[in-house]
Amino acid sequence: MALATERQRIQHLLRRAGFGYSPEELREYVALGLPGTIDRLLNPERVDDAAASAAAGAFREKAIQDRQALLSTWHARLVLTKRPLQEKLTYFWHDHWATGIRKVNAPSYMLVQNEAIRAGALGKFRDLAMAMTRDPAMMIWLDNRDNVAKAPNENFAREFLELFTLGEGRLYTEKDVKEAARALTGWRVTAAKVNPDDNFPVATGVVFMPRQFDAGTKTFLGQTGKLGDEDIVRIVTSKRECADYIGEKLWRFFAVSNPTAAMIQRTTDAYFANDTSIREMLRVILTSEEMYSEAAYRWRIKSPVEHVVNTTRALGLTDRVPRIARDTQSEGQALFDPPSVAGWNWGEAWVNSNTLLARVNFANDVTRRGKPGQLMNLDAAALLQANNAGRTADAAVDFALDLLVGGDVDRATRATLIEHIGGTHYSLSEASRSGALQGLFYLVLTMPLAQLA
Amino acid sequence: MDYANETFLDRPVDRRSFIKRGIAFVGASAYTPPAFLRAVFDEETRPLTPASVVDYAAKRHVLVVLQMAGGNDGLNTVIPVGDRAYFDARPTIALNPEASLPLAQGFALNPAMTGMKTLYDRGQLGVVLGVGYPNPNRSHFRSMDIWHSASMDETTDTGWIGRLLDATKHEQDSMWRAANIGSQQALSLRSQSSFVPSLGSVPDYVFQTDNSFRAEGPRRQQSFLQLQRQAEALAVQAEYGSQLAFVSKTGLDAYQSTVDLHAAVTEYKTTVTYPTTPLASALKTSAQLITSNLATGVCYVTTGGFDTHSNQQVTQNGLLGGVSNALLAFYDDLQAQGIADQVTTVVWSEFGRRVKENGSRGTDHGTANPMFVVGGGVRPGMHGEQPSVANLDGSGDLKYTTDFRSVYASVIAQRFKIDPKDVLGGSYPALPLYA
Repeated sequence: MALATERQRIQHLLRRAGFGYSPEELREYVALGLPGTIDRLLNPERVDDAAASAAAGAFREKAIQDRQALLSTWHARLVLTKRPLQEKLTYFWHDHWATGIRKVNAPSYMLVQNEAIRAGALGKFRDLAMAMTRDPAMMIWLDNRDNVAKAPNENFAREFLELFTLGEGRLYTEKDVKEAARALTGWRVTAAKVNPDDNFPVATGVVFMPRQFDAGTKTFLGQTGKLGDEDIVRIVTSKRECADYIGEKLWRFFAVSNPTAAMIQRTTDAYFANDTSIREMLRVILTSEEMYSEAAYRWRIKSPVEHVVNTTRALGLTDRVPRIARDTQSEGQALFDPPSVAGWNWGEAWVNSNTLLARVNFANDVTRRGKPGQLMNLDAAALLQANNAGRTADAAVDFALDLLVGGDVDRATRATLIEHIGGTHYSLSEASRSGALQGLFYLVLTMPLAQLA
Repeated sequence: MDYANETFLDRPVDRRSFIKRGIAFVGASAYTPPAFLRAVFDEETRPLTPASVVDYAAKRHVLVVLQMAGGNDGLNTVIPVGDRAYFDARPTIALNPEASLPLAQGFALNPAMTGMKTLYDRGQLGVVLGVGYPNPNRSHFRSMDIWHSASMDETTDTGWIGRLLDATKHEQDSMWRAANIGSQQALSLRSQSSFVPSLGSVPDYVFQTDNSFRAEGPRRQQSFLQLQRQAEALAVQAEYGSQLAFVSKTGLDAYQSTVDLHAAVTEYKTTVTYPTTPLASALKTSAQLITSNLATGVCYVTTGGFDTHSNQQVTQNGLLGGVSNALLAFYDDLQAQGIADQVTTVVWSEFGRRVKENGSRGTDHGTANPMFVVGGGVRPGMHGEQPSVANLDGSGDLKYTTDFRSVYASVIAQRFKIDPKDVLGGSYPALPLYA
């Protein structure tokens, strides 16, 4: 029986709604129980996240101009945050409102967008849609800054309907794309305003130019009037098809590969009953029976960011933050640089021989014998001893499996691992000296199961 | 990085001597490899293709596919310089005919495409005009799916090259009969039963190992392989079995393919200097695979950035110049190796762009587009028919004149000598692409 214990359900929840767990974190959440854990995840504002903010903040000022620092400010937060769901949603929405630095070409705009997404990650979907519509990075990325009354540019309008709110060909026509483009005219990007002393941007960096706005009458999804961008966002987000589209995507990301119409109905109901609240849609999903069903268990292939960040958090390798960019890129994902406006391709598309080799080589790197005092490479013996799991081969193997794949592993696999560290002849000092103990973690990290969330 | 070159293959013998012995082992079984290598070869043996198959004199044909992602503007690539309507529709972004590179029949190449012009002048470039499909879809993603799968049916989950591989599969095939260069596997390569390795570059395609422990390396490798096999066995019963089977199979295939690759790719040398772009490197890696004794018959490379909704000229000219220079280097290399006529490169993009420019000196999503067919003995010059810039569809887009599947079908039939119906699931009129 999958997810038989509450501990396993919490581990499963943290893989999906967070970035895994360290042994200490897991103890804390297990003490809260499943309902308490869900409650804490859904209310990040109640959790002090000063350490993550400080670590992210250390890169923030430089991130305004420097692409590496931009990546590090987010990677630091991913590795250190105590608000896992908020960060997971920030990641989810970055993939959804996929915007790429290649074209935007200014880290400051990407930083402003990232912080706007984080601030709105659990808020009202309508507000998030509005924030992204007037987001300077988005305006550059999909050319809405060049969309003027005299000559509309339909790039943003098309992707807004196709990818961000309704889904390809659902509800809207080519005519709606053109009418929406007219309504979205009139905006220009100014210098990004980032306040280095604050967690949030003080201004968005866009300005309305009334003379570039098409003030004429438009008809969009059946509504006629002198529509502007707020009207487009309001009309779209009031549609059942929008709630269904977003709800279905959330179910797939957090729970099951094939949500039923009845499940989507439940998130859509929550969306309309709570003024387009993302938090309430998430509450439906995370507290559902389906979330902990056989169908939800281990079906999802971890993304490179999930794979690298989960591992880094589990092993407490916080000094790796500046390396995460390289690690995730080799595995096939660089944040702020999605392959297209549709975001990354998920599922089996993450895994080919090239990216799998990168995952294996990442495992090799983190389990390489490191320098004392540095949290760059794993010290397997120290980790096992700190968790009172170094005395027997069984204890060591069970600890590594519990930490990295949530236990529940077949007997043959477990036997291979026990054998690897010495079997009946196991001793911590000998396994440590030979490298087999480091090898245990390498092997668990390279197991096919460790690629699944 | 100091450890980048340490690999499983390096130990316990150095790379060079291992490679010699590895080949010796495959060719004649006189040599017995060390135990940990035997584990790989004995249980996982997939013999390399016999050398006789890798005989260029036998006219083996190779297909390289180059995808330009984002929707390349065909009208500013192969310019209808004789057509007034083109200049009328594009007051700011029409290209100057004086600066463009003349082709036949009133067409010219984008001025940045000097490399392609050289290929054209050498008789190695075919241009297929007006390529598209019925009821064009202006979504990047849907349109790419249509081109990759060569099917209008949204449920088709294999790619046209994947089906080509399945249709030509033999027991003794090399794992490297097709390769994807890059970290994202092209959907064209999706197949029912053929593994296609994906790689960044040959030297990076290795299992790294921590050499600070002596005996641990080989032991670790054995345990690694055993765990992949155990997962494959477990996958039969688990609810999440299909993902588990997929990951473990990829793990085992990845491992074996690193062994095969480094055993075979040894002697590649080129006198050609490739540009230092990712695309040129990918083509160079393709040349390395094609000329090795891996019998690689298909390489897939992708380059992006063609979605030019604004300030198109600078961006697109830069991208086309990059593609063009990379292809010239590639064919210079193949020419020097004497195999340019055996390697066909097909260049495509998911759609062309709107005829009329938009207000941002760019173009929005459109429809029909030219395709390039390079090398492989192609009949040089213009193929097919240019759609009229004056007679557009309701959205102001070109009406296609040649179905893209006709191009696929022509390459499959005329170069791979199999019935395209088996791959494309239907018949499409052939073009006289080859003499």
